[in-house]
Amino acid sequence: MKAEPKTILRFLLEHYDAIADLYETQSNEGVIAHETLSQIVKKHDSDIKSQLIDYKILSPVNENYEIRTVYYNLIEFILSEFKPMLPETIEKYHTSIAELFRKIRENINGDKVTLSQRLNDLAIEVRSFYEMVERNTMSLLQETRELKANVKKIDYREKIVRASRWIDEYIIPLNKILDINHSASVANKLYEISEYSNKYRLNFDDENARVQFEKLYFQLIQVNDNLLKQSKILTNELLPLIERIRTESIILTGWITFLKNPYKRKVPKLLKRKEVSIYSNDTFFNASEIFEQFKNEVDVYFEEEENDSEKWIFDKQHYTQKLKDNLPVDNFFSWCNKTLKDEYKKVEIEKFFALTQLAFDDDIEREYHEKAQFDKIKIDNLTLTVPKLIINKQHGIS
Amino acid sequence: MEFPNHHRQIVEDLMAGKFVLPQERTYQVLKEHEHSYTYFFKASFNYELRLTQDYAYLVSEESQEMLSRDICIFIALLSYELDRDGKNFLERIQFSEFEMEEIENYFINSSYIDLILSNKQLKDTDSRKNFINTLNRRNVIEKTGDNRFVFTSAAKFFMDFASDIVKYENAEKEE
Repeated sequence: MKAEPKTILRFLLEHYDAIADLYETQSNEGVIAHETLSQIVKKHDSDIKSQLIDYKILSPVNENYEIRTVYYNLIEFILSEFKPMLPETIEKYHTSIAELFRKIRENINGDKVTLSQRLNDLAIEVRSFYEMVERNTMSLLQETRELKANVKKIDYREKIVRASRWIDEYIIPLNKILDINHSASVANKLYEISEYSNKYRLNFDDENARVQFEKLYFQLIQVNDNLLKQSKILTNELLPLIERIRTESIILTGWITFLKNPYKRKVPKLLKRKEVSIYSNDTFFNASEIFEQFKNEVDVYFEEEENDSEKWIFDKQHYTQKLKDNLPVDNFFSWCNKTLKDEYKKVEIEKFFALTQLAFDDDIEREYHEKAQFDKIKIDNLTLTVPKLIINKQHGIS
Repeated sequence: MEFPNHHRQIVEDLMAGKFVLPQERTYQVLKEHEHSYTYFFKASFNYELRLTQDYAYLVSEESQEMLSRDICIFIALLSYELDRDGKNFLERIQFSEFEMEEIENYFINSSYIDLILSNKQLKDTDSRKNFINTLNRRNVIEKTGDNRFVFTSAAKFFMDFASDIVKYENAEKEE
């Protein structure tokens, strides 16, 4: 059953919200799953599944559905939601346009009806080509501006990847297609067709064909102008914008990486200022730089070392007197040990050695046993082996 | 022996660790005598002269690493905060004037406040003012008033460093 055109248009109008949801699903997921279709229909409270298929708006694909291309393009156009196409898709017009043009040229004197049909087809192809370029440029510009504003809050690294991909895979190839100076470009082919049409719109025996050539010629002038505009948008606006996004993202990513650990990374080398003589022109600035460094002094606190006890000072006079009182002493080192033990419960090596200094005093006369005798004295954890040293009353301290 | 014009100024500026900028007459002389000056600094001091379209400066093994690190931290923080504020940080740093008040706002409210407070040259308003003067002397910025300044093309030196971090890391990942 073929539905009336007005019925279909009315249906689209009435159920636009449901159809827009279906369009969004297909845009995001590629197909509309059976369950998703049921959910969308249920959500909008309208049982339109059968009409969608009857009116050939949806076509079944395995167990899923797809919006037919003609309706998909219509909704896409209404919503101005074009996704950038890979330039390969646009490049195919080069083949179709070149092929039609070749046939027109080779059969210019052939069947007039076929010529007319080919000229007509060529005009359609040129229009489709231009529309696709325009859509692609606009969608790239829109996406780039979104990327610049970072609407989707994407990571800087992802920004670099995206900007690089658009430049390499979309913008540069698209620019090639639009480069009139490039012999293999579509724009160059259109220019060639335009010159050919100009010739035949003025000089051809069939009037109908002349009119068609004229139409094609003016269409091509318009298209070439528009392509030039698109090319300018690409090179003057889009490419610098996206290059800037890429550069900015790289630099910012670098800074963020640096800030993660700013004191561990190598930094660029800056020349150390050289010391200059006092009469240099820069003396003032050098001096002020030095002084500025001290302007912002950081408070530094030193923790004082805690002393458990007061520092012990060797009182030579006191011990000399003590030695004098104890003379004669038949074992000097043993006397030192005993004296310290009497005064302090624990004998420390530092005190012991300080006291033994008395033995080397010039005023003291020392005597040794004929046969060397040694004694062992235990201080702290040390056991010292010392000679037996006698200090006599008669020869001792005076 | 004849030296080019402004020879003394060139030597003094470069030896003071300054970036010589394209708008300075000394830069033009350096550019005209690039080969001779490269040789001169190498032979006299073992310094390497680097001349780019944005600046000229000397490189030596003896580097003032702390200042370089502080400048990197300063520009990194400013770039990050400008971006967070929805500004085009690169355009702002390249083309617009900054007021100290703006810098202060960014630094005081930065999420990197711990890093700022631990840095001697950036920790508070007075330190930052002095730091700005240091940058001015090195020609990294140009003061346009008591509390205003613009970045010079020498900022590119540090921006290139940031780009190199990413390039270096990417290269490491590819290896």
